[in-house]
Amino acid sequence: MGYVAVKGGSEAIEESIQRLKYERIKKGTVLDIRDIEGGMRGLIDTVMSESSLYDRQVASVAIKQAEGSIEEAVFLMRAYRSTLPRKYYSNVIDTKNMFVERRISASFKDIPGGQILGTTYDYTHRLIDFDLSKENTMEVEKWLDSYRKKREIEEPADVDLCNLPRVTDMLRKEGIIAQALEDNTPPIDVTKKNMEFPTKRSERLQVLTRGQTGAVIALGYASLRGFGDLHPTVGELRVGYVDICIANPMGDDEFYIGNIQITEVESYISSPDKNNADGNKLNLTIGYGVCYGQNESKAIAMSILDTDLETQEKKFPTQDEEFVLYHIDSVEATGFISHLKLPHYVTFKSKLDGIRRTREAREK
Amino acid sequence: MNRKRRCKILINGNSRIAEQLAAVIKSNYKINVLDVPNNGLVMMKMRENAKQSLFYIGEVAVIEARVEVQGSIGLGVVIGADSKLAYNLAVIDASYNAKLPEVFSWREILLAEEGLIEKEIKSKSASILKTKVNFETMDV
Repeated sequence: MGYVAVKGGSEAIEESIQRLKYERIKKGTVLDIRDIEGGMRGLIDTVMSESSLYDRQVASVAIKQAEGSIEEAVFLMRAYRSTLPRKYYSNVIDTKNMFVERRISASFKDIPGGQILGTTYDYTHRLIDFDLSKENTMEVEKWLDSYRKKREIEEPADVDLCNLPRVTDMLRKEGIIAQALEDNTPPIDVTKKNMEFPTKRSERLQVLTRGQTGAVIALGYASLRGFGDLHPTVGELRVGYVDICIANPMGDDEFYIGNIQITEVESYISSPDKNNADGNKLNLTIGYGVCYGQNESKAIAMSILDTDLETQEKKFPTQDEEFVLYHIDSVEATGFISHLKLPHYVTFKSKLDGIRRTREAREK
Repeated sequence: MNRKRRCKILINGNSRIAEQLAAVIKSNYKINVLDVPNNGLVMMKMRENAKQSLFYIGEVAVIEARVEVQGSIGLGVVIGADSKLAYNLAVIDASYNAKLPEVFSWREILLAEEGLIEKEIKSKSASILKTKVNFETMDV
């Protein structure tokens, strides 16, 4: 049996694309990009994080074009990204000086600088607010005006939110967490070089941070439920803005180019001290998670998987780096799954032939 | 005032400041545009606190322009797609590199804008700090 080349369907495809546009606008309403940018913060953050491209405006357009489908919007963003030249590499971002908008610890009640709830759904009742269906611009402006006015008369802040001490530094001073010296090994970029196992830490962190939110959370959860070996405590969770600078290509000092919002998590896990011969001394190790925007579940799950993958064992699926790192990328996973929709006429015909032959042989 | 601080004021402050400063140069000198504002990416390198190692968190979209004023090249790079701002930043950068006399009067303008930015940050911080938890110990 040989392969048969076929063609056709271009008119059907064209009409199908027209239907896609029709479905998007058939109610006669036009979704304004500013509405998406203003009101779909969580969706934009997820799309930017999974596409590994920070651009709120382009993410909003992608969401509109994809009619809110995250996997489609991420695909569009990745495709757009591939058309742009990479002009610079940033100087090293140190989150020590993050402008913190939210910061909590599940490990200590009292932390230097305090627990700052910031913006969170954590304490809402999760009851649908049906009044939102009647919300109008006048009401919103009135609320905003009153919110801002109330805060104008407040005393200036006594805490510098760009300089909050880290909980981990406190434990490092006490010797409970080992000091870590700066490791300046140049990171590997997984968008430039295919992964090879065992991977380097920089590869693992890059793949985890751009992983599909649902996949990262699912595997982190699996690890907690028993398909992993640990139950961490969130030492510190921060949401805030970090400055981005690039080196001056023409010489001396650096260029500030703006800032981005990230969520960063440091989780604590107790483990045997490797430097202690009798093995009865315990240490705290840190699991690290970070992602674009405010996406706390993803960052916490990443910190769990970071710890799992650092063990370099394969006792559990979540410790198997090939299992985790090869299956959490949105474009790779959805791309491979959706290829099953493409014509498999020849391979399927071959399967059918096989089945028919076995039946004929049995009948004879 | 170093370049980083200057860029931070011009990018985070009112965009009219960059427009005003660049307008002075545009009216007094010939601007030779080397690169019109064009889109690109910056790959962001980050240090994590667990093992203090480096990794790439991902890319950010930027817009970049390059101009020449009085024989000196200036660069304007900013996150996002504001082509006017990127161009104005490049003109201002070239003016500083060329040590044009106009730039000496800009320090006060930039410091005043920096003051406004700081005031805004303090006000935002005060608002955020209203969500700081005051724990009370309960008698059980």
